[in-house]
Amino acid sequence: MFPFVDGFHWTVGHIVFLTAFGLVAATMAVTMFFVVQRVLDNFRKNRTAAIQWHSDFHDLGEQDRRCRHELTGCAARRECHNSFECGHCADHPRFAQLEPATSAVSLDAFGLDFPSDRLYHRGHTWVRVEEDGTMTIGLDDLGRRLLGTPDRVELPKPGDSLTTNGAAWYAFRNDSPVRVLSPVDGMVIETGGPDQDWYLKVRPTRANPNLAHLLRGAEVSAWLRRELERLQIMVAPAGAGPALADGGSLMEDLPQAQPDANWDAVYGKMFLAP
Amino acid sequence: MTGTLAKPNAIESAEKQWIVRGHERCSTGKFMAWLSPWIGLLLLGLYATYLCLRFGLGETHLDNRFGFGLWIFLDLAVIALGAGAFFSGFLLYILKWKEIKAVINSAVVLGFLCYSGAVAVLAVDVGQPLRSWFTFWHPNTHSMLTEVTFCITCYLIVLSIEYLPILLKNRKFKQVPSFLVFEWELHKLMPVFAGIGVFLSFFHQGSLGGLFGVMRGRPFAFREGFSIWPTTFFLFVLSAAAVGPSFIILTTKLVEKITGKRLVKEDIYRTLAKTTGVLLTIYVALKCTDTLMWLNSTSVRAGVAPWEFYEFRPFGHATLFTEVVIFGMIPALLLLSRRLRERPGLITLGAALACLGVVFNRFVMTIQTLALPTLSFDEFMLYLPNWVEYAVFGGVIAYAVIVYSLSYRYLNLFPQEQDLQLNPKEVGNVPVR
Amino acid sequence: MTATTPANPANPPVQQNRKTRRFGMVINLDACTGCGACMMSCAVENNCAPAKDKITDRTGITLMRVFPVNDRQPMPARRSGFVPMPCMQCEHPPCESVCPQQAVELDKLSGIVDQMPQRCFGCRYCIAACPYHARYFNWSDPEWPAGMEQTLNPAVAPRMRGVVEKCDFCHGRLHLAEDQAALEGNDDYTYTPACVEACPTQAIVFGDLNDEESEVTRLAKDPNSFRFLAKLGTEPKVYYHSEHEWRRNLAERTANGSTPAAEGRNS
Repeated sequence: MFPFVDGFHWTVGHIVFLTAFGLVAATMAVTMFFVVQRVLDNFRKNRTAAIQWHSDFHDLGEQDRRCRHELTGCAARRECHNSFECGHCADHPRFAQLEPATSAVSLDAFGLDFPSDRLYHRGHTWVRVEEDGTMTIGLDDLGRRLLGTPDRVELPKPGDSLTTNGAAWYAFRNDSPVRVLSPVDGMVIETGGPDQDWYLKVRPTRANPNLAHLLRGAEVSAWLRRELERLQIMVAPAGAGPALADGGSLMEDLPQAQPDANWDAVYGKMFLAP
Repeated sequence: MTGTLAKPNAIESAEKQWIVRGHERCSTGKFMAWLSPWIGLLLLGLYATYLCLRFGLGETHLDNRFGFGLWIFLDLAVIALGAGAFFSGFLLYILKWKEIKAVINSAVVLGFLCYSGAVAVLAVDVGQPLRSWFTFWHPNTHSMLTEVTFCITCYLIVLSIEYLPILLKNRKFKQVPSFLVFEWELHKLMPVFAGIGVFLSFFHQGSLGGLFGVMRGRPFAFREGFSIWPTTFFLFVLSAAAVGPSFIILTTKLVEKITGKRLVKEDIYRTLAKTTGVLLTIYVALKCTDTLMWLNSTSVRAGVAPWEFYEFRPFGHATLFTEVVIFGMIPALLLLSRRLRERPGLITLGAALACLGVVFNRFVMTIQTLALPTLSFDEFMLYLPNWVEYAVFGGVIAYAVIVYSLSYRYLNLFPQEQDLQLNPKEVGNVPVR
Repeated sequence: MTATTPANPANPPVQQNRKTRRFGMVINLDACTGCGACMMSCAVENNCAPAKDKITDRTGITLMRVFPVNDRQPMPARRSGFVPMPCMQCEHPPCESVCPQQAVELDKLSGIVDQMPQRCFGCRYCIAACPYHARYFNWSDPEWPAGMEQTLNPAVAPRMRGVVEKCDFCHGRLHLAEDQAALEGNDDYTYTPACVEACPTQAIVFGDLNDEESEVTRLAKDPNSFRFLAKLGTEPKVYYHSEHEWRRNLAERTANGSTPAAEGRNS
């Protein structure tokens, strides 16, 4: 085989064979080299949070990745391919011009409180832009009821920076960790918690933050209707209407109301962290 | 799911932390009960392996006439069935059939198990396993076995690399940032590995056929061909590619049966079934042509009367009929017809027959080839494997079942599983190909 | 191998333009009595270990093997005989091209198909490829009863378990003859394999088929000489000779358009 082995002499067979397998081995080695290079590059550029979100989004089910414009009826069937980053979507500006086709359902029917002075993230957080330019972040009313009374909450410290769709804080309920996604980029300046109606106050990284990915106005009720459908299916797949609502309004502490449901799975789906 | 009121078992809840979020899996105890017989079989296989490695292959029923036996036959069969991994990779990454995503993870794991199992059996089968690296040092570039050795070694590395992202997606593993980022970047370059896998698979599946086709001394196996490749080279590639999708159908349906869950949408079965149907039809046509040429020309020139091969019981004409008609034409017809494909039962039947067909073909090529006499005064000889041979192979089957069970329990082998669990009526919106 | 001083007998100088030989055999089937002396002397010469208890005729090492044959006639009329079969030393060996690690090599100088057990890893592909069943695998560790190691032939290395071996026309004797010729500074040698020497009826004639004068060449060209399975194109260098047609008909499965093994099938 090798020139230094006694009795070796080159033949066409050796050349073809060694070339073919040399190329295969080289391609594999070069590809792995590139992978390692890119991994190191990602760590240098601190892109772990973004990659985690993209990776998780990739793992979400087809039903969990519907475009917001499908929910409002503006698009017939549309799966999001931009990881819910509408600022990067070429079609979003066009769709955003359209009026929602589905008629807005009053959220009062469920007793849910979604004030219209806020923008909503699909991971069940809200953002309120304050007059001084800071932003307040909190868990929306459905997210709050999903967690009920969390066993424990791990909040970031003032000075920590947040990335859009990266982890904002962690909550724990019944052994299930819930990673709550940050709706914006920014730096934490003050922390609240489950006892207050807000969790974090944040100074945005840029002066004019791009908030195109957040839901607003009439979109919110269309989205929520789909979220409640999803929740209904997950909590009771058989379809026999369970008692999520009590006398017309949603229970305050859902895990307590439905202890037999797989809440770990529900949290994965509803908070977009599979 | 343990209710909040029930006292959670510590091991049970710790083990649950490894299961993919949202996957419904059986209890730890039930899973251990499922694994234990397989672990028993694995231990028996390891004991038989010890016997072979310690005392030599005299512990088996192989002999100088049947130098290849049960192990080589099953290696060939398993590698042909494992072709599902390379072929579905080809369909997904090269031809961009997106719906294959539903089964690609399972196919990769199955391919990895088939190939690693085959290599493990080969390591017991050769007389001096520690000398296996000699093939890389003094390769005979004229030998089909050299090509097989190189390709299978490279391809096993490729399959391990393809398995890695699936493994790193485990709920615990993906919490490690370096695993997560590595998986993400590796996954993006997967088409490169899929392409290499296709190249390597094409050559070693073919070379496994060439292995027999080049044996000039064995008229039953010898075939003429193109350039250095006998016709069996191409027939093996084609048959392996044809049954690969069928094996995915069978294994997926088996897992669905055992777990009582729907794992993929119905239309993926039809897509895979049609792929097998088309390829198997071409294969059967070529196989018939090849058989006629070989019986009436190649073997006659080697001094064998036409059809003489089939005058030795138990390998009568029925052998050829079974291989070509029952295990060839019938499944090809079942899977090719759109009307018949509409019935899931017939898809299962067709896929099973197609897989049996390739297994039977590999049996004929190894065992019948060696069983038939060459010299005029040779007697027809019988070979029956002994328990050691069965046990080693049983051990490899057990290894495959155990690793697949663990993979199914802790990894996301079927990405559609959760969607189907929530919307059981959803049959999919991917157009039927 | 590099040239060293000619005085060193352990490392004889390589001579350029050495004569190429094609060692071959003609075995006279009419003279063979089936006594098995060739098998015995072969095993002794080549350090084949005595068979253990569980070794059968299908797992033993018989580099030279005598097969009993008959013409398959019903009993009173049946004619029988013996076919001694060493390796056929084919000019186109089907075993050589299949070996993945070049452990089989057709030696251009002697025409002998060499097997290198020290390189073989025991895949047995060559066993499957050989139509003459001339290759044998070491199914278990070779063991000699205490004291018997005294009888081992120092010119031949014993083989370990797990490798394939075959007749190589007693290469130990060949190497001794080569070394002797090299020491004497000539290239003119021949030798006698153990089986040829042992045959009490002198049924085996051995020599260089390239040598037109030799008896082996003369006998090989005899019209009553034949080779087994000549249609496979392996070009064996072991010829057989018989004055009886039924023995010559053993050469091919389809001699005279019928299969001689017709009655033996369905077993």
